Amino acid sequence: MKRNALVGLIALAALTTAAYAGTIHGKVSGVSGESVVYVEAIAGKTFPAPAQHVLIDQKGLMFAPHIVAVAQGTTVDFLNSDSVAHNVFWISISGNKKLGHNLGTWPKGQKQSFKFDNPGVVPLLCNVHPEMAAYVIVSPTPYFATTDKSGEYKIENVPDGAYTVTAWHEGAKYKSNPVKVAGDTTADFTLSK
Amino acid sequence: MDSSRQTKFLVAAVLLLLVPRFSYAIPAFSRQYGTSCTTCHIDFPKLNDFGKAFKDAGFKFPKDDESFLKAPPIMLGAPAQAELWPHTVYPGVIPGLPPIGLRYNTFFQQASANRNNFNAVLPVGTVGTFIPKSDFQPGLFSIFTAGNFGSGISFWVDDDISVAGANSNGGLGDGWVKFNNISRLFKLPTDSLSLRVGQFELDIPFSQARTWNMSGWDIFDEANIGVQNGLAPLQNVNNGFAFSSPAVGLELSGGHAYGGYHYSVAVVGQNTSGAAANPPNVSPQNGVAFASDSNFKDLYGRFSYRFNLERDKASRTDIQAAGATGPRDHTSLALGTFYYYGRSVQSLSGVLADGVTPTVLTAREPFYRIGGDVNFNYRTFNLFGVYLAGHDHNLLPVTSGEAEGPTGFVVSNPATFSGGFVEADYLALPWMMAIMRWDVVKSSADRVNFIEYDPAAPPSSSFFSPYSATRNRFTPGVQFLIHANIKASFEYQIRPKQIVYDPATGTALTQPFRTNLATAGLEWVY
Ligand SMILES: [Cu+2]
Repeated sequence: MKRNALVGLIALAALTTAAYAGTIHGKVSGVSGESVVYVEAIAGKTFPAPAQHVLIDQKGLMFAPHIVAVAQGTTVDFLNSDSVAHNVFWISISGNKKLGHNLGTWPKGQKQSFKFDNPGVVPLLCNVHPEMAAYVIVSPTPYFATTDKSGEYKIENVPDGAYTVTAWHEGAKYKSNPVKVAGDTTADFTLSK
Repeated sequence: MDSSRQTKFLVAAVLLLLVPRFSYAIPAFSRQYGTSCTTCHIDFPKLNDFGKAFKDAGFKFPKDDESFLKAPPIMLGAPAQAELWPHTVYPGVIPGLPPIGLRYNTFFQQASANRNNFNAVLPVGTVGTFIPKSDFQPGLFSIFTAGNFGSGISFWVDDDISVAGANSNGGLGDGWVKFNNISRLFKLPTDSLSLRVGQFELDIPFSQARTWNMSGWDIFDEANIGVQNGLAPLQNVNNGFAFSSPAVGLELSGGHAYGGYHYSVAVVGQNTSGAAANPPNVSPQNGVAFASDSNFKDLYGRFSYRFNLERDKASRTDIQAAGATGPRDHTSLALGTFYYYGRSVQSLSGVLADGVTPTVLTAREPFYRIGGDVNFNYRTFNLFGVYLAGHDHNLLPVTSGEAEGPTGFVVSNPATFSGGFVEADYLALPWMMAIMRWDVVKSSADRVNFIEYDPAAPPSSSFFSPYSATRNRFTPGVQFLIHANIKASFEYQIRPKQIVYDPATGTALTQPFRTNLATAGLEWVY
């Protein structure tokens, strides 16, 4: 009963925002697999840090998921689900080595959290298993999406306006394009290695 | 007899001088688990603490092994079949990917200017052995396979394909199956008892067969072979046993290499004379020959204890220590001891007490090897060493009165040797390890083999020999991992002092000299 009321509220909120916000959708081509598309920082606008934590698991000597997009200020919980020791570190965020960090090591079943206050691409590594890798894409705005395997994406609830939109793909050169959002807007990207 | 022993000694000496060692890392495991060599190795094939635990567990992740396998194993019977036993074959598994690793290496070596001084002993005009100033060597191509069959049964086979010879010089290396943790069947503590059957390197403190060094530790290659000559004390030892040779037999073991106690006890076949019987009236299992040359089986035992020195108990008892920025090998001190007891067989033609009736005289000389070892590790610095003493009973053939040949044996001074090594490894960078080694062997057999040569009693011939009873060797080296599976190694062997005498007159033909050797190697495993 309570839950139904909540779902109703969310639906209503979605309806009201839809009244004055648009959608960016399109396709990232030139690469295969998942990419991340996000709206770059908007002058004069800040966003509250999301309360919801995002989980990245270390399981079977792999990070899962391999690519995670979050909004700036999101706290990511790193879980070790393996009975071997892992570690999580990154040497930079979008090439800025001052933002490098090492979270150390923790046993199976435990979590270590980190709040990503700086936007950019965070390449996660494990210093025990050099083959392990993952990416956290910290979007400066809450307007971001991960593409499906074919490269299709949809960012919803973007207020109408002019933005810079960036597409990122592992191992490819990122691309930023100006996009004028007015209702349902299409923005395609072609990335290359 | 003497000349054959001299040849043996000469061949051994030449091989020691020229043949770089080989080493192993197991890409088969890398494939099964989808992980890098560095998960188990520091500068392969040197194991890190996790690699030691993986090996102790029977080539499995110590916990939750299935969750790490990228290729699921092939079931040889559903697990539920186990409930049917004994009315069915107990279910097991074979690895999902063929557990095969391959290895190749190639070498370049450069010997010092006096390398051909030994030819000075040859009569003028004789073609001697020529050692080139520099040399490219093709190295070895090896195949190795290892893994787990389920129920804690692990296996290992390695074989060098390209080189003629056997054992550590090529051919089959280790080939065994191990029943890990059979202690569970007897309700004993986990991993306190395992059984290994086959051909294996004895559980020596530091593996010579899988060493990361280019040249093996001299003390593990030391066989007690002493020719008879005019020097006192007389000796008659022809004991080819060396720790670097694989043994064949059974081994019980228990404990862990990454912390706490570890022991092993082995019963192995012996063949100290190198003679293999190939009788026409029975069919030995390998179709070629019997492997032993004696009824007696040799015994080997080892006990060690490793103290992990972290203050925090959880960190101390875990497989790896928890470092501030990630797990690392423990700071640890390990102490160990090992003992080998055997009998070396020497048969020769002699006569009975009547002095004329031919007979075969057989000396079964008891011998033992006893040693101790220490291993200290601090972060990426590892200091370790071995001391080993060898003792052969030394029965001398004697001829009584006017007999036409030897009639029996008398006990003479034991033929002994001792020595060991100290080595420091420093992993300066994850891809660069610096090595400094000091090897020492002090051998009475070596001494009698012309070492303290007595000009008043010239020997009948001359050959490679150290100059003094004590052979020292310093071996600095450095190794670079070009990739996790490709390694470039460099070593400079500063050899023992040697001298060449005229075999007829005892005149020194050369000044004391060293034949130093620089070796560069490139090795890849895949
Ligand atoms: Cu890891």
